[in-house]
Amino acid sequence: MSALLRGLAVVLVGCLSMVGLLVTGPSSGATSAPRADSGAVTQTKQLQRVFGEGDAAEVIDERDVSVSVSQTRQLRGRERVRVSWSGARPSGARAADPYGENGMTQEYPVVVLQCRGVDDPSAPAARQLSPETCWTSTRQQRSLVVPDRTAVWRHDLYASETERAAKSGREPFPSSECEDPATFSSRVTPFRTADGKEYLACTAATMPPEAAVGAAYPPAEVAGFTDANGDGTVSFELRSEVENESLGCSATTACAIVVIPIMGISCVDEDLECRRAGRWLPGSSNFAKQGIDLAVSPELWWSASNWRNRFTFPVTFGLPADTCDIQDTRPPTGFYGSELLSQAALQWSPAYCLDKSRFKFQHNRMPDEAGFKIMETGQGAAALVSGQRETEGSDPVGYAPTAVTGFAIGYSIDRPDNAGEYADLRLTPRLVAKLLTQSYLGSDLGRGHPGMAGNPLAINNDPEFRELNPGLDEISREAAATVLSLSESSDVIETLTSWIAADPEARAFVAGKPDRWGMVVNPSYKGIALPTREWPMLDSYVPASERECLKLNPAPYFTQLAAPVSTLRKIAEALLDAWPNVQTKCERATVDDPWKLGRIDRQGVGTRFVLGIVSLGDSARFGLRNASLQTAPGRFVAPTQESLAAAVRLGRQPGTMLPFVIKQAAVRKAGRAYPGTMVVYTAARTSGMDRAEAAKVAQFIRVSTREGQRPGRGNGQLPAGYLPIRDTGATAPLFRSAQSVATAVAAQRESSPPKPEPTDTATPTGDPAPETAPTADDAPGAEEPGDEKPVDANVVPTGATTATPDAGSGLGRVALPLVLLLAVLGGMLSGAARLTLRLRRAR
Amino acid sequence: MTTATPVRAGSRRRPAAQLTQPPSTHEEQLRLFSTALTVVGILALWFAAQVLFLGSLSQDREQALLHDRFRSDLATAVAPVGPVVPERTPVSLLTVPGLGLEQVVVEGTSSGALLSGPGHRRDTPLPGQVGTSVIYGKGATYGAPFGRIAELTAGDRIEVVAGQGTQVFTVTGIRRAGDPLPARPVEQEARLTLVSAEGTGRLAALSRGEVVYVDASAKEGFPAPAGRLGAVPEEERAMAVDQAILPRLALLLGLLVGATALIVLLRQRWSGVLTWVMATPVVLALSWATTDAAMRLLPNLV
Repeated sequence: MSALLRGLAVVLVGCLSMVGLLVTGPSSGATSAPRADSGAVTQTKQLQRVFGEGDAAEVIDERDVSVSVSQTRQLRGRERVRVSWSGARPSGARAADPYGENGMTQEYPVVVLQCRGVDDPSAPAARQLSPETCWTSTRQQRSLVVPDRTAVWRHDLYASETERAAKSGREPFPSSECEDPATFSSRVTPFRTADGKEYLACTAATMPPEAAVGAAYPPAEVAGFTDANGDGTVSFELRSEVENESLGCSATTACAIVVIPIMGISCVDEDLECRRAGRWLPGSSNFAKQGIDLAVSPELWWSASNWRNRFTFPVTFGLPADTCDIQDTRPPTGFYGSELLSQAALQWSPAYCLDKSRFKFQHNRMPDEAGFKIMETGQGAAALVSGQRETEGSDPVGYAPTAVTGFAIGYSIDRPDNAGEYADLRLTPRLVAKLLTQSYLGSDLGRGHPGMAGNPLAINNDPEFRELNPGLDEISREAAATVLSLSESSDVIETLTSWIAADPEARAFVAGKPDRWGMVVNPSYKGIALPTREWPMLDSYVPASERECLKLNPAPYFTQLAAPVSTLRKIAEALLDAWPNVQTKCERATVDDPWKLGRIDRQGVGTRFVLGIVSLGDSARFGLRNASLQTAPGRFVAPTQESLAAAVRLGRQPGTMLPFVIKQAAVRKAGRAYPGTMVVYTAARTSGMDRAEAAKVAQFIRVSTREGQRPGRGNGQLPAGYLPIRDTGATAPLFRSAQSVATAVAAQRESSPPKPEPTDTATPTGDPAPETAPTADDAPGAEEPGDEKPVDANVVPTGATTATPDAGSGLGRVALPLVLLLAVLGGMLSGAARLTLRLRRAR
Repeated sequence: MTTATPVRAGSRRRPAAQLTQPPSTHEEQLRLFSTALTVVGILALWFAAQVLFLGSLSQDREQALLHDRFRSDLATAVAPVGPVVPERTPVSLLTVPGLGLEQVVVEGTSSGALLSGPGHRRDTPLPGQVGTSVIYGKGATYGAPFGRIAELTAGDRIEVVAGQGTQVFTVTGIRRAGDPLPARPVEQEARLTLVSAEGTGRLAALSRGEVVYVDASAKEGFPAPAGRLGAVPEEERAMAVDQAILPRLALLLGLLVGATALIVLLRQRWSGVLTWVMATPVVLALSWATTDAAMRLLPNLV
């Protein structure tokens, strides 16, 4: 019995040792620096308002107005340019929102429009610029129906007789289509599209499709306000044919920015309505949209008196983003990754696809991580990343610096009492940490959140913010409790959070220490590990509310406030439109439909407050404002060419062909370097790549670091928002590193076992298993694909031949013989032992 | 089964000797030594017998089931065409007339999947499709489906019946470690690479440590859908072992020990015959399952 038990023990030991034996097998296993060719233009004109005709003419107002436009060449869709003027008549009855129809209830504003055509009387009629080719987004800006008494345009000194008729604007007058009342004075200004179609624009149904109610883009045309000194400025957004097909501005269709300072109608007779000079004082506000004098309103921008006062600035558009798809039928070579490069890629790609000696470059935006994976597995030629990645394959990866840019915290904030936009926002890491950790309550709904009931509702209620940014209102808005951020993993978030992590105050706040004013971190984010590449949504607090809509749609409130989006471009557009992505609006189509939650409304001009994380490229393109970020205590640095260069100087390269590391601690120490500086690298394998692909990547690196670094707005040039990489100065190490990576990628020198290439026809290997041991020992001669000229080029034109890898297994060699040996040995020895035993007993 | 020896040893003991002459410590040690060695020997013998001979029975059975299933899949036109196929699903029927080989290929190349037949590596196109498709098969154990592929020579035919139709490949060559890889498949070409383990030297039948590749090619492959896996995990590569089976193996060994203890207890109450009638099937089944599991710790191509 005891022998039996001991036997069992031996069995177990035997089994376990066998398992052990088997297991030990092969387990291997934005800056806005002035640009030379931006095409800034200034024009000056003398404008008059005249009452009376001929000898009785009396000039009652005369102004020398000069208007400047900051950019007129190579514009892109949705790009904003600065239009500023001086010497205009001071405006009154300021509207909260000067765009589109809402800007019409002002007196003496400056109307800025985008129109198609050339303003040259000698040009053919079809290409002429006229009120009929100027875009407006509502019919109220084009058509008027008023009683005869107030039809002031019928007394216009400069108008022709037909224009002074009761019904004017089009021959024959479309009374039936416009449902025009016969007893009223009417005027239409039809809109002619780029392809010649005419829209009468007298009812909502006769407007071009882009002017439909609730259209994708908010109105761009603006009636700007002139201050008491006669100065004024607006950011005017231009639309290409991509955004507005009816208007149809493109690289081939001439367009212009038309600026019309409203001086009032010059009257031919003594009509009182026509001679009115405005009922509002200069500088007054008219937020309630009360009545104004039509004679001095922007509604009559098309009248002869106003139209003759126009300033026309011809603008040219750059090639649209789909140029390469249309012009070049070759298959594109995809570069996958960072969105920071997208504005540069927009200008770079035509320089590749339109040049037949180059390949067809295509930038595909995706999370840096995913882009790198695609590059590693060989599905993509190269990745665009901003930092070093863990390589999983055996092929070495080289990182070529391609662009110096970064992120900014963009904002659109208005000063109270219509005093214009706030221009120098300053943020500390702790303030950004408060926003990201959702520590502002947003509204009373957030007050019930356990553990932070005493926190301010929004950042503009926070004493820390008010100390840094005095003079802003204290209205609590849900949009001001959050900064619109990325939902995806991104190097931008990593840089942002390492900037926060480098600041002791911010770190202490996140760890749970209240700030000086008693504000504490949201308990859901307390102690979150920083830096991180992806910002998580951790708060799941659902407020209790009696509102029917919220009862039916219980949702985590703070996540709705944050509502991160997937691309930086979307954030930039949210700032551009002042349309926060806060998802707390209760709405239903009709009273019978169920409630649902949706995005809140666009913010009105005058009370805007939106923050978002944007790329410097987008920010420069769209004319967004960027916050200055704190580096050392009390030092705030805005993104400029100098501060980017200062940060690049701090970069240290841990090894050849690796990315430069800009430590946030060093940025803090330096003081004047911009903490959001990021270098975008072209990451590509330096061996194991298809030779043709490798040549394309090398070409891209070489072209983009030389020709692609010339600042400018043309094809192949570097747009604003990027610091040019040059072979001298702060960026010289980057330039040299890029050139050496380009050489290494082109050479594909170091060899390693072939990898599985999931792209068909490119599978060079029978067994794609790269798992075993170094192959260099097996056949060193065959392994090396040679120096500059591959010896095997004649055998395999597209790639290097390599030897079959040695996947042999020691375990495979010994396992079965060993098992049989054990069986034989066990049997023999046990027999021998038994025999000994029996012999002994017999004695 | 593992307990047979010690029990028999006890029963043969002469009662008289035991009473009059208690065994010395030395004798006791010798007896323990002999018992342990017997157990190890029997375990090893069983393992060898199952992987080399008995395993082919279960592999035959699996193949018969897979064949039926694949036949009905083909008939109802639901045979997989990729890009991602569930593991262990039959994907094609591979016939090598020169070797008298006919096997249903399953999806996946882990040690476990290959127990039932040749396995298709999941990051390559399915057999017959454009590109290089890779099939692994065992070279010595569990029916050794690919045991003789090294005998193929250039020009031999390999037929593949798959979801998209029948494809006839011609062998282009045999490769071993260090041989140059064949040129890339040209456009539309379908490539098939059979991979198995082979032995060298005197113990070639058992010592299967080297990898042999048979390349075959067909002019025009079936279209391969995009979206395949980019890579396969470590345990599905050539000569890899599947360590994920360890927990299961430990459980099975535990059960085996438990069964043994139970037999000892039953022996004291029931007659020997009755006990063995009851216990043999249980012990056999447990041993079989244990060996199947332990087998996965051997390289998949062996």
